[in-house]
Amino acid sequence: MLKAIFPRLGKKHVHPESRYALELRELNVRFNGLSVLEDLSLQIERGLSVAVVGPNGAGKSTLFNVLAGLLAPASGQVHVHGHLPAQYLCLAYVPQSSLVDWSFPVSVQDVVMMGRAGRLGLLRWPGRQDAAQVKRSLDRVQLSQLARRQISELSGGQKQRMLLARALAQEADLLLLDEPLAGLDLPSQEQILGILGDLKKEGITVLFATHDLELAGEHFDRILLLNRKLIAYGTRKEVLTMENLALAYGGHMQVVETKEGNVWVGDIGGHHGHEVEGRHG
Amino acid sequence: MVNWLLEPLAYEFMQRGLIMAVLVGVVCALVGCYIVLRGMVFLGDALSHAILPGLAVGYLASAGDPTSLFWWALGAAVLSSISISTLSRGGRIKQDTAIGIVFAGMFALGIALISTMRSYAVDLSHFLFGNVLGVATDDLWLTAGVGMVVILIIVAFYKEFLVLSFDPHLATTLRLPARPLEILLSVLTAVAIVVSLQTVGVALVVALLVTPAATAYLLTKNLRTMMLLAVLIATSSGVVGLYVSYYFNVASGAAIVLACTVVFIAVWLGQQFRPSRHPQSAN
Repeated sequence: MLKAIFPRLGKKHVHPESRYALELRELNVRFNGLSVLEDLSLQIERGLSVAVVGPNGAGKSTLFNVLAGLLAPASGQVHVHGHLPAQYLCLAYVPQSSLVDWSFPVSVQDVVMMGRAGRLGLLRWPGRQDAAQVKRSLDRVQLSQLARRQISELSGGQKQRMLLARALAQEADLLLLDEPLAGLDLPSQEQILGILGDLKKEGITVLFATHDLELAGEHFDRILLLNRKLIAYGTRKEVLTMENLALAYGGHMQVVETKEGNVWVGDIGGHHGHEVEGRHG
Repeated sequence: MVNWLLEPLAYEFMQRGLIMAVLVGVVCALVGCYIVLRGMVFLGDALSHAILPGLAVGYLASAGDPTSLFWWALGAAVLSSISISTLSRGGRIKQDTAIGIVFAGMFALGIALISTMRSYAVDLSHFLFGNVLGVATDDLWLTAGVGMVVILIIVAFYKEFLVLSFDPHLATTLRLPARPLEILLSVLTAVAIVVSLQTVGVALVVALLVTPAATAYLLTKNLRTMMLLAVLIATSSGVVGLYVSYYFNVASGAAIVLACTVVFIAVWLGQQFRPSRHPQSAN
């Protein structure tokens, strides 16, 4: 009876030791009749940290929405640790901070406790174990001191760390982070990158959407370069080539000299929200 | 002074009215907190109007038996909220558009039905403007029973409703049954509206849902405290409103809503003239 009303009660908590955290096969996503992602096929091994880069409108957020099970693809297959996204519980999506209602009347620990709601199941109240998990999660992002603070009183970096703690409370082994460093000062950025580095050591797979190609090259195992199609996926050397970047960024190229003498091409003006137009390949 | 307070209580209709106003205050304040936090005020207003055809049909079917009217009105509200959620599901029709279409259509159907049965029009006006002093003992029991069910559901699904209101995407990634919960919340809204009809009527019910919760929201940054304060404000406004209605011969529903509004204005003004406690946090 309950299962008939709530079909997702049959969700799976345990996953096989699959080699890939993520497998996409010929994924096509349409939004309001427009094609947003085309023919995406990709395998990401578990435990890697992956920077997802591409110009605005490349489909980074859309890809995350599909992986999180928020948006159904038009065709193709998505497997998260061998499961369909909507069946998989050990996944956490950290939204862009600007999408969160910071005036909501809750404290930091209330928000982190929300991460426990999926594991608890319906009609059950959080117990001692859940409180302990929340405390551990807050410790790991160094927010224990602010546990009772109202969320509107947090700084930008603290807000982002709180969202990260919520993901940890979910006991996720796949983290999707959408522009987590946007608008943060340098110390806050480094603090968050440090926490992500710790998580990687524990075997958690991290997908990290960003505009910052330099950051992507320096801090991540792999780079996924996207512009509606998969342009390239691999190590920094394999992906950040002149040819790939021209394919991804097309007319919006900007040439930057780096200390290694590489020519980097980026969508630096990404904050203005312009779309990438025309055909690149 | 004591006499002034006790005199109205000598009348049974005042006793019943006061109990009704308190019951309705509790239910509306609790449901109202979620409506205010989720920005669903338009849905609440729309549902309160969309029950009119239910009332009309109930009248034709049962000649005005309040219990029967209650179920017909609830049926119309639930039908409307499910229609709204179905229409806006694909994303082609925005939710507020769907609300506008369903609410205006249902309201028009209600008016059309009522216009064909002129003799009932006077009785139905009680549902437009409320008549809390005319409630019968049976109505009280029904309202108390329904109110208990609403409170139980809000307590039982506290953490789910919290997640759904704060971050609907989190609800989906946590694999909570987001859509059924969403529908449950709009059914609760429908129930709160229908139980309030006799107290304040179709035209004013949205005030009971919104004003106490919005006032409480100004006073606290904790959801549980907000719910408690909203209940206190709504129930005390109900009592004050009925006394005002008794002594100054004002329509009872309007007096209750005005009491809520006065509390809101007082709190809002109090906050305008107080320096902000928390300076804007920097990055």
